[in-house]
Amino acid sequence: MLITFANGVHPKGCKQRTAGQPIGRGPDPKAVYVPLSQHIGKPALPVVEAGDRVRCGQLIGRADKELSANVYSPVSGTVKGVVGHITLSGKKADHILIENDFLDEKTFLPPLAERTRESVLARIAEAGIVGMGGAAFPTAAKLGTDKKIDILLVNGAECEPYITCDERIMLEYTDQLSEGIRLCMLACGADRAVIGIENNKKAAAAKLARVSGTGISVRVLKTKYPQGAEKQLVYSCTKRVIPENCLPADIGVLVVNVHTALAVYRAVEENTPCYERVMTVSGKRVDRPSNIWVKNGTPYRDIAEFCGAHEDCERIVSGGPMMGEPVFSLKICTGKGTSSLLFLDESECVSKRAEPCIGCGRCVQACPMGLSPVFIERALFDKNYKEAGDFGAEYCIGCGCCSYVCPAKRFLVQSVKLAKKILRQRRAKDEEERRAASEKNGEGVNRADV
Amino acid sequence: MSEIANYKVASSPHKLDGANTRRIMLDVLIALLPCLVCGVVYFGLYALLLVVICMAASFASEQIYNLIRKKPVTTDLSALVTGLILGLNLPPRAPWYIPLIGGVFAIVIIKMLFGGLGKNFANPAAAARVFLLLAYSTAMTSFIGADPGNLIADGSTGATYLSGGAAVLADSFLGVGGYWGNVLQLFFGNVGGSIGETCKLAVLAGGGYLLVRRVIDWRIPLVYVLTASVFALFLWNSAQEVLLQLFSGGLLFGAFFMATDYATSPKWKINRILYAFGLGAITMVIRRFGNYPEGTSLAILFMNLLVPAMDKFLIPVRFGQRTKKGTPKPAVMAWCMRGLCMALAAALAVGTPLIAVAEYGRPAEKELAASFRYIQSMALDRRGNYYFTVQGSAKITENYTQALEYDVKIDTQKGVVSEIVPVTQSTMGYTAELSLFVGKTYAEVAALTDLSTDAETSATLTNTALQDMVEECFLAADFDKNRLHTEDAYTYIIDAVRSELFGGTTYLAAGVADLSEYNYQQPLLYYISVEGNKISSIVPLVQSTMGYMAELSFFVGKTQQEIASLSDLSADSDTSATRTNAALKEMTLECLAVAGGGRA
Repeated sequence: MLITFANGVHPKGCKQRTAGQPIGRGPDPKAVYVPLSQHIGKPALPVVEAGDRVRCGQLIGRADKELSANVYSPVSGTVKGVVGHITLSGKKADHILIENDFLDEKTFLPPLAERTRESVLARIAEAGIVGMGGAAFPTAAKLGTDKKIDILLVNGAECEPYITCDERIMLEYTDQLSEGIRLCMLACGADRAVIGIENNKKAAAAKLARVSGTGISVRVLKTKYPQGAEKQLVYSCTKRVIPENCLPADIGVLVVNVHTALAVYRAVEENTPCYERVMTVSGKRVDRPSNIWVKNGTPYRDIAEFCGAHEDCERIVSGGPMMGEPVFSLKICTGKGTSSLLFLDESECVSKRAEPCIGCGRCVQACPMGLSPVFIERALFDKNYKEAGDFGAEYCIGCGCCSYVCPAKRFLVQSVKLAKKILRQRRAKDEEERRAASEKNGEGVNRADV
Repeated sequence: MSEIANYKVASSPHKLDGANTRRIMLDVLIALLPCLVCGVVYFGLYALLLVVICMAASFASEQIYNLIRKKPVTTDLSALVTGLILGLNLPPRAPWYIPLIGGVFAIVIIKMLFGGLGKNFANPAAAARVFLLLAYSTAMTSFIGADPGNLIADGSTGATYLSGGAAVLADSFLGVGGYWGNVLQLFFGNVGGSIGETCKLAVLAGGGYLLVRRVIDWRIPLVYVLTASVFALFLWNSAQEVLLQLFSGGLLFGAFFMATDYATSPKWKINRILYAFGLGAITMVIRRFGNYPEGTSLAILFMNLLVPAMDKFLIPVRFGQRTKKGTPKPAVMAWCMRGLCMALAAALAVGTPLIAVAEYGRPAEKELAASFRYIQSMALDRRGNYYFTVQGSAKITENYTQALEYDVKIDTQKGVVSEIVPVTQSTMGYTAELSLFVGKTYAEVAALTDLSTDAETSATLTNTALQDMVEECFLAADFDKNRLHTEDAYTYIIDAVRSELFGGTTYLAAGVADLSEYNYQQPLLYYISVEGNKISSIVPLVQSTMGYMAELSFFVGKTQQEIASLSDLSADSDTSATRTNAALKEMTLECLAVAGGGRA
């Protein structure tokens, strides 16, 4: 019996198209639009101006205060300015437009003299590393936790269909990866690391098991979606349950993606900041499905042309097919968290109208968080938000298992996310009112005292 | 915005499972096909007509409802599924309007008025079946016996196992006799019952298909059947009854096709265990104690009504959910249901052998070979003890007749009455003196003359009646134990007996004294012994109770020629005894002829 979590679904892997493709160089775009906000938190502050000449690996955006991350130029060329450019969410955001001069002049971070927790954490922050699994949480903030961490989990599950970039990294950068994991362990103070890998990547698991030494072990997990979701991965690998409203660090665990660990290695040992990443380009409407190094800020159109993708496809998805976002324009540019670009045809994605719920309960059986999407949806439609809360709407991780299994093709995950959003808003409002009320009371008391 | 190209955009997840509503409904239709085919093979083309009417009524009423309400035409096949399930639930010879009314009721009243697909509060087919049962009780409970392969002819009316008991089942099926023959017959569905539910093989095939296609949750049928087995075992206190109950009526059909209805079964898998447990318990309690022989659809209807409450109050423990104290919230419901399943399985595993062993020594009901005067029922255990329930009466005065009922146990090993338990007798103290009989042989009981136990005559009359009863019990036990099971067909003789009570060969012979001018046929039953070509003894079992009794001396000790030559059979001035004597003459002649032929 392979270790795993409860519930979940089994979508077709569809990884064979790119699993055997070695990581190659990606497109060298004429111009890059480097987003200043490639991470969770505040956007970086631009430190270059129009007309500046930058080299590849040069700092162009400095991390703002609080949660933020540095941004580096992925090409050498001339800065054309800070421009508003469209993003996946549909909003315009500030990007730094750099015209590539194809000279590929590089600059590096200064070599790191010592390997202590503080110096490694400082280097991770300096190199602008964020979680490369998709969430893009600044890694330095995560690893720099002051909580006691005893296990560092390395997420090599890659449970989303199609995506194979992590698998290729584990196969091709095995030594660098294990070194990166050791650096992460040093940075967070864990004495043990566990690499969780789904058993559809046996070669990668075997190769990692060979090179991993003391303190690093490999766990082969059942191939099931969402095996790579943080809470599920922690449970599968350690049998520890992350309580609701808690972070993995609260139970002594941290989770980093394999690509993040590789980025840490590159920053510390090769003095290369984070300005490019491996992406999977796949789908039936791509002539040359591949895993490629893509510079941050590369427009999707360059990638599509590089891989021979047909624009007239049923749907273009940035990220995995289960949680990824639909692409409405190929002018959008990649960021540090963009793991894949999929060009799907009619047979690979479903665009159907929702039918009446037949009450089969498959969504309840599929939800890895133990929620009841069918009842949350009904409560939402009845505007009965309290009941939606009773069924756990606030704890949705958005994995989409409920929508995936629904035979009536209902938009369950959207309903649950909406209920979650409304519940959060109402709670915030309630708290504000309570605070206002208590302040008022306080004043009243003061006045009475006087 | 010029930057936005005309790509198709939809929210994640972009990949969806292949299952859809139509496909699920189609799967159910496919799974029901074997049941339909078996129903037509067993009950003829009229059964097919009923099912087709029911499906057409369901489908048409849904579309007409949509038309009236100006809703889009529904293309899911759910109305056909409802119609097919309801059609298969009907008796094979129901009038044509029954499926019509049922189909319209199921779709319009139960489904569409409550909001259509997925919003019905009860299983439409089960609710419609119960409605029809209440509204058309006679039509809905008139079953016919199965007639495999006969597609056109009208079947003869026949009871189901649940209403008629083991008597409706054949003595042997496919060459297997006794209990296992009954089980096989029920399993293959060659019995009376609703169109689609009799053939359990077809039900299991369809259910298996649904399980393999993952259309239905295995928990519901499995726990339902498990619970029903445990309840059958203990409510009937019989291990044999378990399979008979499981394979009779609509239990399996309901478990696979009706209880698993999506809209009306719980959504959480753990709740489904509780739901199925309730189904099994209610079905068996109705079957055992209720007025209706079958309880499946009532149980489904009842549990359907509990489902919304279960869904609302018994909800899954979330991953990482905490109590208010901050400790992990225990999965109470899941553990309870696991415990329940294990308890049921353990009860079945332990209870079955224990009850089977106890049942092995328990007297088994035996069919009476003839209608006796007093004996109502007979049972035999494996030690050779016969158990009789006898009913009679003692005429105390002109105006008062005391009804009598006793349980008599005859030990044929020792040839004595081993126990008599009074069930009904005088409550005034004039009770039978049991010690007169208990421990005595047939000869001793028959020889008793002084039956007065006290000064009162009434107890004497009771004792006299009981003496007759006990004698009859002896003869019935003797006959059943020692009968030769001759295959030949006789006019009067029921069977020959190598009697332990009388010498020679004894025959149980039944006849009729023809009193048609009085509009009366007097049944006659005699125990006639032949020894050395002569009638050695005749014991009357059933004859006139009004005094017109056969004159046995005409026949006893006579040979065939002597009896044949008897011409004046009038024993007294009344003709009736003459008729009785005439009938007895024919009986004795047959006995002598058979005895002679047998010797030659």
